Amino acid sequence: MELTFTPEEEAFRQEVRDFIEANLPAETRDHLKRGNPPTKEMTVQWHKTLHAKGWATPRWPAEWGGPGWSVTQMYIFQQENQRAGAPDPQGFNVGMIGPVLIQFASDEMKKEFLPKIASLDYWFCQGFSEPGAGSDLASLKTSAKWDEAGQQWIVNGQKTWTTYAQHADWIFLLVRTSTEGKKQEGISFLLVDMTSPGVEVHPIQTMDGAHEINSVFFTDVKVPAKNLIGEVNKGWTYAKFLLGNERLGAPRVGASQAKLAELKEIAQNRIVRGKPLWDHPRFRDKYVEAQVELKALEMTVMRVLSSMQAGADTGKPDPATSVIKIKGAQMVQRMTELFVEMAGEQAAPWTDGELGANARIGDPWVERAAPNYFNFRKSSIYGGSDQVQKGIISKAILGL
Amino acid sequence: MNFELNDEQRMLSDSLSRFLSDKYDFEKRRKYMEMEGGFDPAIWAGYAELGIFALPFSEDEGGLGGTSVETMIVGQAMGYALTNEPWAEAMAIAPSLLQAGSSGQRAAVAEGIIGGEVIPTWAHLEPGMIDRGEDIATTATADGTLSGTKTVVAFGAEANLIFVTARGPDGLGLYMVKGGASGLEARAYKTQDGKRAAELTFDGTPSEKLSGGVPADKAVALAEARGLSAVMAESLGCMEQAIEQTVEYIKGREQFGRAIGSFQALQHIAAGAVVEKEQVKSMAMYASVMCDDGDVQARDLALSAAKVKMCDASREVGQMSIQLHGGVGMTMEYAIGHYFKRLTMLEIAFGDRDFHMDRLCDAGGLAA
Repeated sequence: MELTFTPEEEAFRQEVRDFIEANLPAETRDHLKRGNPPTKEMTVQWHKTLHAKGWATPRWPAEWGGPGWSVTQMYIFQQENQRAGAPDPQGFNVGMIGPVLIQFASDEMKKEFLPKIASLDYWFCQGFSEPGAGSDLASLKTSAKWDEAGQQWIVNGQKTWTTYAQHADWIFLLVRTSTEGKKQEGISFLLVDMTSPGVEVHPIQTMDGAHEINSVFFTDVKVPAKNLIGEVNKGWTYAKFLLGNERLGAPRVGASQAKLAELKEIAQNRIVRGKPLWDHPRFRDKYVEAQVELKALEMTVMRVLSSMQAGADTGKPDPATSVIKIKGAQMVQRMTELFVEMAGEQAAPWTDGELGANARIGDPWVERAAPNYFNFRKSSIYGGSDQVQKGIISKAILGL
Repeated sequence: MNFELNDEQRMLSDSLSRFLSDKYDFEKRRKYMEMEGGFDPAIWAGYAELGIFALPFSEDEGGLGGTSVETMIVGQAMGYALTNEPWAEAMAIAPSLLQAGSSGQRAAVAEGIIGGEVIPTWAHLEPGMIDRGEDIATTATADGTLSGTKTVVAFGAEANLIFVTARGPDGLGLYMVKGGASGLEARAYKTQDGKRAAELTFDGTPSEKLSGGVPADKAVALAEARGLSAVMAESLGCMEQAIEQTVEYIKGREQFGRAIGSFQALQHIAAGAVVEKEQVKSMAMYASVMCDDGDVQARDLALSAAKVKMCDASREVGQMSIQLHGGVGMTMEYAIGHYFKRLTMLEIAFGDRDFHMDRLCDAGGLAA
């Protein structure tokens, strides 16, 4: 057991820092540091910059363009990228559909899709949830019927909560291909071109005012046979693999560390009742408690990655990823609460963001405090809600 | 960076776990607790034979030169089996305090501990000293004659080597007293979690001062750090066992015509306890690695962070275990209550949550 970094690892950290410092556009950095989510252009620009360097797909095998990093290097990279206020590599591509293709797709399909997924020439979004299939994902109804004459799938149905469908070139889709037997055994996994006739994207505004998520409607959408991953009716297995990876990527420890550092810096300069907020014991308690929990989460994430590297990676999701998912969501949400508490009544104005006459009322962090708090309630809901994770722990770890 | 145990560490874990599952169960433990010294000397000898007492001592001292990771492995197994012997005093406290001694003193004491003949303890806390780090009132003269009172000394009446923190003419010092020394009086009692402890009075008691090593306050701080790390490991083992027993119980217990473990309300409580236990596991590893860190402030803050996490998790896991057992969890005859009591004692050992929150807050938190 060794928790300290070797000189080589520290040198790697410096290399990552230097690269980000030299290449991350100031506009992107400032935009994110103000608490905003990256725009599509910002994500694409930074993803492509990382891709050119060979760093956009840290967990992929070298054969498919991964950098061949150790777990520690992957961790250092992610931490530094998040701390610097850079956009993550596009997660649906890199953390979700890419690994599924690498694990389960035919060589032909890998060759067709993986390079473009890695480079973000194809922006993928995730077509899992439906209005009637949330936590009970396997009850999904969007259907793909085999068209023998056209040798293609015909897709009908509706997906929802589809993050950045408005940016996407492609969607990976869970579809029902059989209604026989168990509901999990009639699901298949398709890749669908978003420009196909019959695909319609409708925006959904979240309570913070943002447009991240959408409904996606499919009406007689024709999908070539070759766009099916693996075998028909085996989609549930691939989806579970994907969700395990999603949980592993969920905590964004580096981002929470950056938030905590920002919180401290602001508190040191914010005079409340005659002294810096930082010197108020109740604030200090909350800060330290958050820091302790975040340290424990950081160690838990490292522990899971380390055991994967040591060979426990069986391709099956590690139930410990459910622990990470729950705690990761909790930490992200806790940070947003602390910002609202720090802003106090100044958090009230609804501003126009980057636009309009009311673009600036308070400091950028004050403006973003309430919307971020509202927005990040999503963390304990998406990717399997806290309650779904507890169900997984009950079954997979405790055998209940 | 890696979190994996090496082959030797895995062997240590396996052999100790085998030994404990052979020697310890709830009924046997009850018997040991009624023995004269509160534990079975044969088990102490068994630990020595397994070689665990040699782990924390350097090769110069005649030991195996292990790290705090080995102590963590031992602690986890001890917590899991709910053992009562003062293993942490032998493995975490004594080797740390001995850093204040000369190489001759270190080697002589180490030999006795490694062989199992010496049962060491630390007389540190004093009456009216409800927090760590307060002033020590016990005094030592230049020739090492001790006067003062110490409280809650683990196995204070049974230990045959007592390390005493006292103020000498040159400031804080560490002194070794043999069990049964003249002017030493012990008022012994059982503890809430089934161990033994004593109030010790020193009245002109002869001792041997540890000198020739690091300053006494440094050795004390190291003992506090390693002691706390041992607490982390032991509490982890306790939590693992408490969760296992609770899950077994709710699988078997039927109400409303079905196993109560099939109710989601109970499942989610148990799953929540797993989440907390996993966080403690991470912090136990962090603590064990950090307590060997040369940067003393970083070490102490890391240990404080670990303890804060442990205190919160221990409450959740311990209380959940009793709650899900229902009425039988309240009884002396069920094992779970004894784990709960041990966890509670570990929560207050080596500084409670407030003490460690204060330490962290005063420093502005962990170094980033």
